[in-house]
Amino acid sequence: MTAPSTGRSLADFTVELDVYSGPYEWLLALILKDELEIFEVPLRELVGLYAGSRDPEAANALDRDTDFAGSAAALILLKSRTLTPALEPEPDGEEAAATPEELAERLQEYLKIRRAADDLRERFARAAGHYPSAHTAPPKPGRLRVSNDRVTLVARRVFSRLVEPPVRHLGPITVTLQELAGMIRAGLLRGPVSYEDLTRGMDRLRSAVAFAAALSLAQEGAVRLVQPEPLGALTLELLEAGG
Amino acid sequence: MNPAPEHLVEAVLLVSARPVRLGDLASAAGLSEGETTRALANLSDRYSPEASGIVLRAVAGGHFLSTNPACSGAVERFREEARPAPLSGAAHEVLACVLYLGPMTRGAISRVRGVNSDAVVRNLLERGLLAEVGSDTEAPGSPALLSVTDDFLAAADANSRGDFPPLDSLVSEEELARVRERLTAPEAAPAEREG
Repeated sequence: MTAPSTGRSLADFTVELDVYSGPYEWLLALILKDELEIFEVPLRELVGLYAGSRDPEAANALDRDTDFAGSAAALILLKSRTLTPALEPEPDGEEAAATPEELAERLQEYLKIRRAADDLRERFARAAGHYPSAHTAPPKPGRLRVSNDRVTLVARRVFSRLVEPPVRHLGPITVTLQELAGMIRAGLLRGPVSYEDLTRGMDRLRSAVAFAAALSLAQEGAVRLVQPEPLGALTLELLEAGG
Repeated sequence: MNPAPEHLVEAVLLVSARPVRLGDLASAAGLSEGETTRALANLSDRYSPEASGIVLRAVAGGHFLSTNPACSGAVERFREEARPAPLSGAAHEVLACVLYLGPMTRGAISRVRGVNSDAVVRNLLERGLLAEVGSDTEAPGSPALLSVTDDFLAAADANSRGDFPPLDSLVSEEELARVRERLTAPEAAPAEREG
């Protein structure tokens, strides 16, 4: 009896390469997303790592081998396709076959570049290990580049009028601030009342005007607003009975 | 007491994480270029790899202080950082193309190497070793022209492009002749191959 396949038999396979260290599945994802170049991945080394890690006695050994063989074959195909040079087509639509002389010239140029690359590698290796001062100076204001487009955009934002919010969803205003202030005073004669009780049954607009009236009364010193914690329940207390 | 020219130059170099050009150094220290050059010469003796954990380098057209590579292990342990992974062979080839044949477009790099090099170029741009310096206005779409940066020169321990050996000197005439001969020599006759 074999273990049921989860579809991710290689989930526990991790690789240690110069260019990448981590789960094999992530390596495939990075390659497919073009975040890691396929040239950088030594496929032979990858196969060696898998061969070293496989357990032929494991219940899902066949699944793992199959999945790895499939993905490794895809990597080989991808690498071979990527090796195809992206040459510009000839103007007449047909790519002219290069003569041996042209090929020799291109190969000679490439040989020089290869040698130059080797020289660079040695230079880089010799210069590695130099760490600069950790004191990074802030950029000089005079050298900051200011884009005209950005200045125009900012100026337009600063000087443009704000768009007034739509109020069509609000109903007609049928009560004044003074009327609501009077109602609040009357309601508080029997003792402190919470804002929630005070506005129960009111629509949003009336509730907002009641809040403005309560603030106005608090500013006048007629009412005290008590809120023990931020965004907590708001309670109103009358300070002057005859006000 | 006025500080000595060496002290002024040394102080400015200490706080700069990038190479400082002679003119900027002289201007900041309030010295003439001659005085600054003499101060740098004195400092280079003091900050030689044999004499100090800090070395004075003349790279990317300027001077700057950096740690002695012999002490890099201690620095890396202190910073709890590993040394950046070395560049791949493909990356070195792209840099060599741009250094010797550039400024050039991505397409031109790919043509020289014979393979698509866009991903390598992107990586080198992110590392700051290549930069877009303009565009090829005569090519369709005006593709960006790439060139090597001051960071590249610093990483290669070079003061300028002139510090690199000429491209033609890197491969001998005999090698080039062998390549040409191998590609242009007429194919051997079938009888000759069988024999």
